Amino acid sequence: MLYVSLFVGVLAGILAQLFLHLHPHFWWEKIPVFSAIYGFIGCIVIIIASKALGHYWLQKEEDYYEKH
Amino acid sequence: MVIEWFHPGLIYIFGAFLIPVLKGKRRLKQAYLLLLPVIAFINLLLMSKGVLLSEGKTWFLSFLGYELTLGRIDRLSMVFAYVFVIASFCMILYAIHIKENWQHVAAFLYVGSTLGVVFAGDLFTLFFFWEIMAWASLFLIWYRKTKAAYGAGFRYIMVHSFGGVCLLAGVLIHLQNGGSIAFDSFTWGIGSEYLGAYLIFLAFIINAAVPPLGAWLADAYPEASVTGAVFLTAFTTKSAIYVLIRGFPGVEVLIWLGAIMAVYGVIFAVLENDIRRLLAYHIISQVGYMVCGVGMGVFGTAAGEMAINGSAAHAFCHILYKAVLFMGMGAIIEVTGRSKLTELGGIYKYMPITFWLYMIGAFSISGFPLFNGFVSKTMIVTASGMWNYAFIWLMLEGASIGTFLHTGLKLPWGAWFARKEPVCEAREPPKNMLAAMGITAFLCTLLGVYPKILYDILPYPVDYVPYAAGHVVAMSQLLLFTFVAFWLLRGMLHGTPTISLDTDWFYRIPGKWLIRFCEGPLMAFANYIDRNVMKMAGFFVWVSKNPFAALRIKGREVRLKVEKPVATSERAAEYDRDLEAVKKRQPAEEPMVRLNIGTAMLLVLLFIALYLIAMLIHGWLIR
Repeated sequence: MLYVSLFVGVLAGILAQLFLHLHPHFWWEKIPVFSAIYGFIGCIVIIIASKALGHYWLQKEEDYYEKH
Repeated sequence: MVIEWFHPGLIYIFGAFLIPVLKGKRRLKQAYLLLLPVIAFINLLLMSKGVLLSEGKTWFLSFLGYELTLGRIDRLSMVFAYVFVIASFCMILYAIHIKENWQHVAAFLYVGSTLGVVFAGDLFTLFFFWEIMAWASLFLIWYRKTKAAYGAGFRYIMVHSFGGVCLLAGVLIHLQNGGSIAFDSFTWGIGSEYLGAYLIFLAFIINAAVPPLGAWLADAYPEASVTGAVFLTAFTTKSAIYVLIRGFPGVEVLIWLGAIMAVYGVIFAVLENDIRRLLAYHIISQVGYMVCGVGMGVFGTAAGEMAINGSAAHAFCHILYKAVLFMGMGAIIEVTGRSKLTELGGIYKYMPITFWLYMIGAFSISGFPLFNGFVSKTMIVTASGMWNYAFIWLMLEGASIGTFLHTGLKLPWGAWFARKEPVCEAREPPKNMLAAMGITAFLCTLLGVYPKILYDILPYPVDYVPYAAGHVVAMSQLLLFTFVAFWLLRGMLHGTPTISLDTDWFYRIPGKWLIRFCEGPLMAFANYIDRNVMKMAGFFVWVSKNPFAALRIKGREVRLKVEKPVATSERAAEYDRDLEAVKKRQPAEEPMVRLNIGTAMLLVLLFIALYLIAMLIHGWLIR
């Protein structure tokens, strides 16, 4: 199910790129399946960067404000 | 007399005070609660059909020589009024089982005052309703009746009082500098003559929860009562968007603040363990899109009108889907009493209806095609493309990824699935809660499928086709592959029993330091001063009982003290004994010296002469 929808998503992207007249505002929107790549990489970056930020700086034990 | 117009906000505000009267009559009260938003909605429809005033200004009131305008009706105020009234109906339905009448009163005052802000045509009226809004909403937080809620409520009202003072000061300075009392867009520039506008701007972005001033939102909303939080999600931040559109369209700094805000909310949501705090960070993120849109909303340009339409439309849609999301998470808290991801999981089989209604909200906020987030968020993103803001475009699209990741994937997965065995018993929430979620979710889908209803009431004519193939394909790919990345990394996304520091640290921790400083060193200093002043007062009383004797006693004491160090050691003991004796002497017990009248007159004359000399010298000096 997941693989089918992934395949359909990518295929639709490439087809739309080839056959439809799209109106991109930026050069990267002309890259085939740019959104898929951005979604995948963006998601990984958000998770890892936020987790790192939390781990090294922002996350504290739950009674932090009671203790300090 | 024919009523030309009736203020929809006053239906709520006056209506609120009848609620406590209906005590004991449960059904009647519930019917009444639902009736008020219906009347307000009919009122709005009559306005739009031109039966009541549909455009223009009305309800003037003179105050301190200014003419106040309680009713300023145009397309912008109408679109916000519509969504506030519609959302309030769903929210009241969600809260209708609540027995505490005063919680309903607070909610009604909150909705009514927000409508007051929306229709305010001048700055004093704006300030008046702005303050009611802050105080009424406070009680929705306090009605949770927990220690955390009391603390968060105090911090909430302190931030909003600060914002209110900024607004008032800004308005007064604006008037002092020759500005008009009318609430229109402010002239913006760099320089001290814009101080009034800056302060008003500051007040607005505090309410819009723009970082670093927005920590109050994620601090307070998750601590509010289950039903109160649903109200809170809609009114304060979205009325702030309204006043920003009104007062500061096209102010460039808002573009960057908004885009940063959109990403900021997403980052904090990753770290969050509390289910409603996670959603609260997504309010900040979504309001970021709207703030960004206001910044791009330069008058008279196609891209600017697209941006303003986008902000208004997104506020409209956001209120609906965010209500569904908060209702869904509120339902979990209502039936399980738990609000942390680390304490939830596996309860899907007990509450599938709640789950699916929640997911409609989640698809909407993520901007799935056929849901309302898609038809509004993409307008703002498109506007950033029309302005050629490449980096802003990337930030906004990136925030979309994070939005789906958290509200669409991590949160429902962690709350309802994530474990094989349910962590606790659960059930579907009361019927009225489900019905409220159902209606709101239906509206989310309706606007997604048939956006024309929304586009027709936006401030500017809409020249935008959301369901162009390019948009649909791009958005679907983005979300699909976000899901893939989530599934690969889902092990990292379990909740952790932690809290995250936000900018509220700056008043929570140094605030404690300040209190400790006041209680410790400052109190000690105050006590020291107090003690010595009392001692001095005692001394004056002691002297004034018999000044001559007091002088004699003090003179004797000084003489003994001066002579003592030069005396021989055997005499020293004698001096000590004498000093002891002197200190015990009380002037009141000494014989009184009475002056005859001549001496008294002499003293008076002497005093007057001294005074005269002082005056002469003073006169001579200043010449």
